[in-house]
Amino acid sequence: MIEAVAVLGIIGALLGAMLGIADLFLKVENDPREDYVMSKLAGANCGGCGYPGCQGFAAALVNGEATQVSKCAPTSKEAKDEIVEYLNTTPGPDGSTLSVKL
Amino acid sequence: MELFALFISLALINNVVLSKFLAVCPLLGVSKKSSSALGMGAAVTFVIVIASMITHVLYYQVLVKFHIEYMDLITFILVIASLVQFVEMFLKKVSPPLYKALGVYLPLITTNCAVLGTTLNNITDGYSFIEATVAGFAVSIGFALVIYIFATIRERLEIASTPEGFKGVPIALITAAIMACAFAGLAGLV
Repeated sequence: MIEAVAVLGIIGALLGAMLGIADLFLKVENDPREDYVMSKLAGANCGGCGYPGCQGFAAALVNGEATQVSKCAPTSKEAKDEIVEYLNTTPGPDGSTLSVKL
Repeated sequence: MELFALFISLALINNVVLSKFLAVCPLLGVSKKSSSALGMGAAVTFVIVIASMITHVLYYQVLVKFHIEYMDLITFILVIASLVQFVEMFLKKVSPPLYKALGVYLPLITTNCAVLGTTLNNITDGYSFIEATVAGFAVSIGFALVIYIFATIRERLEIASTPEGFKGVPIALITAAIMACAFAGLAGLV
C-alpha cells in the first residue's frame, strides 16, 4: 500500500516536472486578455459551451469566434458581467476592442 | 523476421480499428478532412510508440520490483495523459492550424482506447521491450492507415449523392463496416 502510493507519487512528480520543463521551451505567447477571461471563468472544464475546455472558450471569446459569454453555464452572473465589461473596453494587441454580449 | 510478422499482423490483419474495434471515436470524429486525419494519425503514432516504451520499462523495472502490478492501469493512464499533454503543447507551438483542426480530439487521445489497449496488451502478451516498441508502432501505423483511407472515402462521400437519411455519420459507419470486411480478407496472410 505504502509502496504503491510512493511509487505512483514519484512517477507523477517526475512526469509533471518533465511537462514543466517542456512548457518552458514550448510556451506560446497568448493574448493577455485570454488569461484574464480564463481567471474569471468557473474553470469547470465541462465543455457545455461547445469548446474544448475553459481555455478553448476563453480563446474563442478573445479571437471573436464566440460572442456570447452566457454560453458558459457554471460561471456566476457577476463574473460574466465583468468579462463582458472587460472585453468591450480593453483593446487587444492590434488595438481594436471586441463587442461581446452576455 | 519475427518482428516483421508481428508488424504485419498488428498493422493489417489484427487492425486496431477494423478488427478490434478500438479507437472508433477519433475515426469518426477526425475523418472529415484527409489532412487532419493524417495529423491525427501522426499524433497517435507518437503517443502509442512512446507510451509502449515507457510503460514497458515502468512495468518491469518499477511495478514488478515493488510487487504492485495491480497498479498498471493507473500508472499507464498517467504516462499516456502526460504524453498527450506534451503533444498538445508541441502542436500548439509548431503547427497552430493542425492544433485547431484536431480541436477537442487532441486532448481526447488520452481516452483513446487504442493507446491504453496497446500498452496493456504488450504486458499481457509478454512482449519484450523491442517487441513492445514494434507492436506500438504497428498498431499506430494500422490506425493512421485506416483513418487516412477512411477520410479520403468520406471526402468523396461528401459530394456523392447519398440518400437523405444516410447522409453524414450513418453512411460513414456503413463504409467503416465494408472496410472491416475488406480487411478481414487479409486474415491468414501471416
